[in-house]
Amino acid sequence: MSPLDSPIPHYPVNDFGPLMKGLVIGGVGILHVFLAQFAIGGGMVMAYLERLGQRGVQDARTFVDGFFKILVLVSFVVGALTGVAMWFTTIQVGARTIGLMIDEFHWLWATEWVWFAIEITAGYAFYRHGGVLGDRARLRLLALYALASWMSLFWINGILAWQLTPGRWLDGGGIWAGFFNASFWPSLVFRTAVATTLGALVACIVINTMDLPRERRAALIRRVSWFAAPIAAMPLIALWFLAVIPADSRSWLLGGSMPMTMFVGVAAGASFLIGGYVVVGLLLHRLYINGATATLLLGLAFGATAAGEFVREGARKPYTVRGVLYSTSIRPAEVAALRASGVTADDPYPLRDAYPSDPLTRGAKVERALCDACHTMRGANALVELTRTWTDDQLRLNIAKLQHTKGFMPPFAGNALDVEALVQLLRWEHAERPAGFAPTSSPEHVAEIARWLDEAGTAPADAPGSGADGASAAGAAGAERQVP
Amino acid sequence: MWPFDAAGGPGLSIESLWLALYLLTFALHAVFVSYVAAGAAYAGVAAIRHSASPIAARTRDWLPFMLGAGITAGVGPLLFLQLLYQRRFYTANLLMGPRWGAVVPALIVGFYALYLAKAGERWRRIALAAGTACFGFVAWSWTELHQLMADDPAWRAMYGAGERFHLELAVVPRLALWLGAMPVLFATVAAWSATPAERRRLAYLALAGLGLAGAAAAVLIAGHGFESAHGWGPVTVLAAAVALAGWVVTARRPDGAGLTVTTAATAAALVAGAVVREVPRLAMIERDRATAVDAGGLAVFVVTLGIGIAAIAWVVRTVRGASR
Repeated sequence: MSPLDSPIPHYPVNDFGPLMKGLVIGGVGILHVFLAQFAIGGGMVMAYLERLGQRGVQDARTFVDGFFKILVLVSFVVGALTGVAMWFTTIQVGARTIGLMIDEFHWLWATEWVWFAIEITAGYAFYRHGGVLGDRARLRLLALYALASWMSLFWINGILAWQLTPGRWLDGGGIWAGFFNASFWPSLVFRTAVATTLGALVACIVINTMDLPRERRAALIRRVSWFAAPIAAMPLIALWFLAVIPADSRSWLLGGSMPMTMFVGVAAGASFLIGGYVVVGLLLHRLYINGATATLLLGLAFGATAAGEFVREGARKPYTVRGVLYSTSIRPAEVAALRASGVTADDPYPLRDAYPSDPLTRGAKVERALCDACHTMRGANALVELTRTWTDDQLRLNIAKLQHTKGFMPPFAGNALDVEALVQLLRWEHAERPAGFAPTSSPEHVAEIARWLDEAGTAPADAPGSGADGASAAGAAGAERQVP
Repeated sequence: MWPFDAAGGPGLSIESLWLALYLLTFALHAVFVSYVAAGAAYAGVAAIRHSASPIAARTRDWLPFMLGAGITAGVGPLLFLQLLYQRRFYTANLLMGPRWGAVVPALIVGFYALYLAKAGERWRRIALAAGTACFGFVAWSWTELHQLMADDPAWRAMYGAGERFHLELAVVPRLALWLGAMPVLFATVAAWSATPAERRRLAYLALAGLGLAGAAAAVLIAGHGFESAHGWGPVTVLAAAVALAGWVVTARRPDGAGLTVTTAATAAALVAGAVVREVPRLAMIERDRATAVDAGGLAVFVVTLGIGIAAIAWVVRTVRGASR
């Protein structure tokens, strides 16, 4: 069968060594988000200070024409480049997910692209010709840049928020039901607050490099500090976000998954510290902030951004698009068919490594198809370490009833032989890959696994009808939006 | 008009619209990136020769913006490419893996190299050489990816062997065609702000580029036959011939109408050539993906596109007015 002919798209899987794929996309994503959001907030700060400059605050005009505009320019170009990198990285990690997003939202993505083109044009025009333009043109150009960059955020935010809370889109509500989903507004407010904060903090650093008396720098800092004030509202925005996301996702963030809870804590704590310093120190007590402190706060903001992105990605588990596509790039409705055929039946791609026996070869293919998206064998989130202390029967039971073993895991999308092959692969890995490896499989084991698979059903853990009552996939599949 | 009505069935299909937008945005992208790749090479040669070329100076000044514009314009065809050939594009990306991913770091290095070259003379030669190498690598990578997308019989073996390069001979003339077209497009854009003497120099550059592109096209035609493409093939040849004549006229009379003629002909050759380039892939368009076909939002895009064109036109007019 040609790789193009399989009903379920099979893509080649790349191995990133000890790095799990989430870390790869997370690294690129955090850098991109940080740069792109700074470019948005930086534009707003520049437009505001330009207006002040035209009303007689000469230092504001000096600031706008100084180093800051170069930082904004570099950020929006490198932001664009890392945006393309995000696209390529997402293909590496979840080609089917990005394909579905493109299919559903391509006109809105094209709309975002138009705003981005305006942003680049206006930003570069100001950078290059701002010095010879009249006041009115300068202000309009900066306002256009700030608006276009925020509109770019507006459109992409809806597409990303849809992944977690597709809401009425799942019931055929159409593109706008999907776009203006439950987490759209809290996400937009959150990102806007982060963008203005980043703009303000970088501005504080740049102001400290200006050749001005301290009191004049302090006056400028007080002006731009207002742009960092919204981060003080982050706890409220976080509560709003938590209120609208699915209950199971909320439970992971609030103690159900300690790494996730810790990242929530990091994001909230860092935001609280920045917000407290800005509101109490800079705005109420009119303190001066030097370059070192501003840099430290910017570092905290980076930490908050990184943790926030991690939480956003993690909260979607076990899906990449909730109710539509699991993190394994398998649709809920396809699980039942794969339970019958086995997950390796239509996989056109060979393994790159040789294994000493057919069951181990099959196990490696199962691992590649169902585990590799989120796990490595021996690196980050390593299967070997996660299962090292499990007995053979525990391995069989826990994998067969995967969605009940951990609520944020998808149901196992293969048959009993696939489970058994994966169990043997893990035993072989636990034993440090001996050449003469003796499998412990028997027909009775396979029969028992088949019974456990039936008991677990094919629905995710949170779906009605999922559980030990032998429910089928009907619950999940019935609610699922039919997509290719 | 073919190929936009080639989807079958009555009326134009949504795939036709994607295809039209892909080809137009691709042509726009090609103008910017050709300016960057050929311009960096031109400025690099001038720097190595210690030439005080005003063309090179202007080019260095514009290169960072042109790269930014090229990347921005490139997002459009990248989007529509994923709609037209999704499984092939993703598979080729994944097969090339980290070697494909190197495209983005290469662009980032190239971007900073262009600023370094613009900033001062000290690092200029190294920066422009590095930038040219980066952009050459990106051009080669896209050409290789283009070939790999179509070569699905090779995918399985390539993956199994862990190969990251699709090194086949067909990449060479295709890449050579682009390496010829790039100086032509660069010269076309650069000539509008050049003095008559500079235009003559650019005309020679364009004629050399047309010669290389023509030779590469001849090799491709010898291998695959001439593709009429419902008239788009002859239009490409005719437009290229008019562009050639326009450059010859410009070389003789740089302040004459030759540049206007050659610019129009080059634009026509670029768009028609983009259609001809696409012909072998038309049968590979992945049709009938219901989610994509039924997706809403087209009206919003059309309205926003109108706003975008108006806004960009206003920016250009404002800047040009101030520059005068």
